[in-house]
Amino acid sequence: MTIPFTHILFLAILLFAMGAACAMTRKNLFMILIGVEVMLNAAGIAFVAAAMRWQDMNGQIMALFVMTVAAAEIAVALALIVCIQRRTRYTNVDHCSMLKG
Amino acid sequence: MKPVLFLLISFPLLSALILALIGRCLSRRTVETIACTAVVAAFVLALTAFLLSGQKVQSLTLAQWFSAGSFQVDMDIYYDPLAAIMALMVTFVSSLVHIYSVAYMRREGGYVRYFCFLNLFVFAMLVIVTAGNLVFLYLGWETVGLCSYALIGFWYEKPEAANASAKAFVVTRLGDVAFGIAIALCWINLGHLSVSGINDSAASLDSQAAGIIGFLLLLAAIGKSAQLPLAVWLPDAMAGPTPVSALIHAATMVTAGVYLLMRFFPVIQGSPLVMALIACIGVITICFGALAALVQKDIKRILAYSTISQVGYMFLAVGAGDLAGSLFHLISHAFFKSLLFLAAGCVIHALHEEQDIFRMGGLRQKLPQLFWLFLAGTAALGAFPLTSGFFSKDRILLAVFLQPQAIYKVLWTIAAMAAVITPLYAFRLFFVVFFGQPHADRSQAPAPAPVSHPSVPNLMTWALWPLAVLSLFAGFLNLPVNWAGNEWLTHYLAMLPGAARELHASPEMESTMQLGSALITIVMVIFAWIFYGSRIQPSECNDETFQKKLHTLFLNGFYLDQFYQTWIIAPYRKTAEFLWHKVDAGWVDAGLDQSARSFLTLAERLRLWTTGRVSQYVSMMVTGFTLILCSLTVTWWYLQI
Amino acid sequence: MTVLNIIFYIAAAIVISATGLAITRQSTVHAVCYLVISFMGTAVLFYLLGAPLLAALEVIIYAGGIMVLFLFVVMMVKDQQSPVDKPSRIKKWFPAIILTGISAVMAGLLVFADPGNRLRPPAVMGTPQEFGLILFQEYWFPVEIVSLLLLAALIGALYLGRREAREEDTI
Repeated sequence: MTIPFTHILFLAILLFAMGAACAMTRKNLFMILIGVEVMLNAAGIAFVAAAMRWQDMNGQIMALFVMTVAAAEIAVALALIVCIQRRTRYTNVDHCSMLKG
Repeated sequence: MKPVLFLLISFPLLSALILALIGRCLSRRTVETIACTAVVAAFVLALTAFLLSGQKVQSLTLAQWFSAGSFQVDMDIYYDPLAAIMALMVTFVSSLVHIYSVAYMRREGGYVRYFCFLNLFVFAMLVIVTAGNLVFLYLGWETVGLCSYALIGFWYEKPEAANASAKAFVVTRLGDVAFGIAIALCWINLGHLSVSGINDSAASLDSQAAGIIGFLLLLAAIGKSAQLPLAVWLPDAMAGPTPVSALIHAATMVTAGVYLLMRFFPVIQGSPLVMALIACIGVITICFGALAALVQKDIKRILAYSTISQVGYMFLAVGAGDLAGSLFHLISHAFFKSLLFLAAGCVIHALHEEQDIFRMGGLRQKLPQLFWLFLAGTAALGAFPLTSGFFSKDRILLAVFLQPQAIYKVLWTIAAMAAVITPLYAFRLFFVVFFGQPHADRSQAPAPAPVSHPSVPNLMTWALWPLAVLSLFAGFLNLPVNWAGNEWLTHYLAMLPGAARELHASPEMESTMQLGSALITIVMVIFAWIFYGSRIQPSECNDETFQKKLHTLFLNGFYLDQFYQTWIIAPYRKTAEFLWHKVDAGWVDAGLDQSARSFLTLAERLRLWTTGRVSQYVSMMVTGFTLILCSLTVTWWYLQI
Repeated sequence: MTVLNIIFYIAAAIVISATGLAITRQSTVHAVCYLVISFMGTAVLFYLLGAPLLAALEVIIYAGGIMVLFLFVVMMVKDQQSPVDKPSRIKKWFPAIILTGISAVMAGLLVFADPGNRLRPPAVMGTPQEFGLILFQEYWFPVEIVSLLLLAALIGALYLGRREAREEDTI
């Protein structure tokens, strides 16, 4: 199977861009989180592709760790969203501006 | 001999130091005694030195001053006949002025400061006349400027006194700058700074270098002696006490300039252009002073302008190459002008500080002793026949006339015309003050009631008698040949470089000129009596406006003050204000403030960036990420290319 | 162009379209569902890229665990949208499209520029045995750390989600 490395990287870049756009634009806290997830996923794809290109297992290991840390982070982030919803009655990121200068 | 010279210089300095340090703790009597004793002792010592030295030159080193590498300056003294005569004159007049001041200052509070500076002045003047090198002379030169500043501004709370003293200092300073440059040029060109060294090697200067150095020395002399471009400080300097005017502005400081030119005559002689320039400046100043003195109303201002005019005669003599004549006129001027100033001080004191001559009058009966003293001085000033002024002025005119160049004939003519005006203003002053009745000028406020019994302290009049005698009879110092005299002064100065000038005139020419000037003087006296003696004119502004314009022109000193004000002082002030307000406060300070404030504003604007909105923060992060990527790509592409 | 290549491109298309749909949904639940599809496609990609274990783990952990957790919390939280005026969609997405577009292009340029990237790497399967060996031999220490991290996350989530949290408690 011979897919050029650039194609896979293009795919990863595209996914990352889409995740960043989602995190930038959406006002709903959950959607921001989804954007973050998409970005992490794209990074994982890039790692695995690099592992195949250089024939090195370390890339796959790294992808595993990315997945694991993403899981931990999601857990805490969702708990945070629950807290925020309890404090301000909305899950809207614009309401979280208490650190306004 | 050497101790005599050393003590001569040291006594006044020592007394000034004592008065400066502990004068406050001493009683008035003690202060006066110390001051007067020091100067009288200096006079005795000067007399001793004069008698002992014969006509030889003495030099001694007082102290080592400073050295920088191979450049060594000592305080040394060069005592030759010129210095001997000058020292005698300075100490004699100073002693009389000190004695006079004792009575004059009797009611003043700051007498310690006065006597201290007066003694310091005498010291500095003695340094000038006996200095052996240029730097030591410069020390004395500056110190007389300092003492003049302190003494003119003695009553410093009065604004006109403070302004006048500052003006005097600044104007003479212009001359001092030229003097400093001249010292440097002497060092460069001649390698000597000592008087003997310079005078001996002056012949080695080419005429251009001699001209430049001579011109700079002339500028220095103009500043100190109040000659024409820089004459503006002397009339205003009359705001000081009258004995100060008598000593400083009649006898000693204004003659320091003439002395400088006489001392370095070999250098000046090397450039005929400079000599002619000195003579021209002298003549112009004579006319300026005489015309301005003709219309003044303040008694001291008349005498001030008269001083300017008479010092012009001394400059004229130096320019004509006649050192003996210049020195002769210097001495006789010292006597009669200080006599006139001190007598004017008596008059002012007697009339309770009245200085307008048209408010004085009829003092002949009230102050008889002063009448005769003033008459002696006025006669000498007006060159009345047989007085000292007559002989000295005549010698100067003769010396100018005998000069071969054509310009000197022109100068002689002008000087002779000015010699017509001198007795006129002198006797105008005399007649208005002592004859007739006082009355007020119509334009001024009504005069206070005339003092019924004016009185003058005895000490003040006794101090004047020696001066009166000398101003009448000092002509015998240099009696010309056709009077069967021996021209003692000329022969005494014969060894001086450049001074041995026997005037090669036939006795007949001399007699003719003397007769001519004597006749002119007598005619002018009669004229003055007609105009000012019998019928008092309140002001000379009559019907014709041209005469009135001339009158105001002369009264304001040919508007020289206003000229300087408009062309030099006002632009300087404007520039200073511009630099202060616009540049310093406007650009520098405001620039600093503005840049500081801009930081503040920037910080304020930046603060608005932290809105607290997370979406904006995320956007900013993505923006930053984009920018980094762009810069990486661009850099990388450039590296590829 | 082998079959596996075709499958790769189809899977890539599915991933991209699913992600694109996911991020533009109004409803959160819909978004999560599309995201699950995207992760499934990613798992296929992983398998094709020679990481079968990771493909399985992707399905189990990511799609099966994380997204389900997402759904739980989304449906638990009263997802009220605050009454703010919404700009039109294009206007809202405009800056994001610009910025991410530029960065994607730049990154693409960077990627494309290296000739070594244009290689076609050989398709080698990384077996789970190899994976496990390397994981627990070379990377045993990070494994321990990550387990601690998971513990911390667990405790944190528990604490943050307490029902009896008083109003004065800081988040």
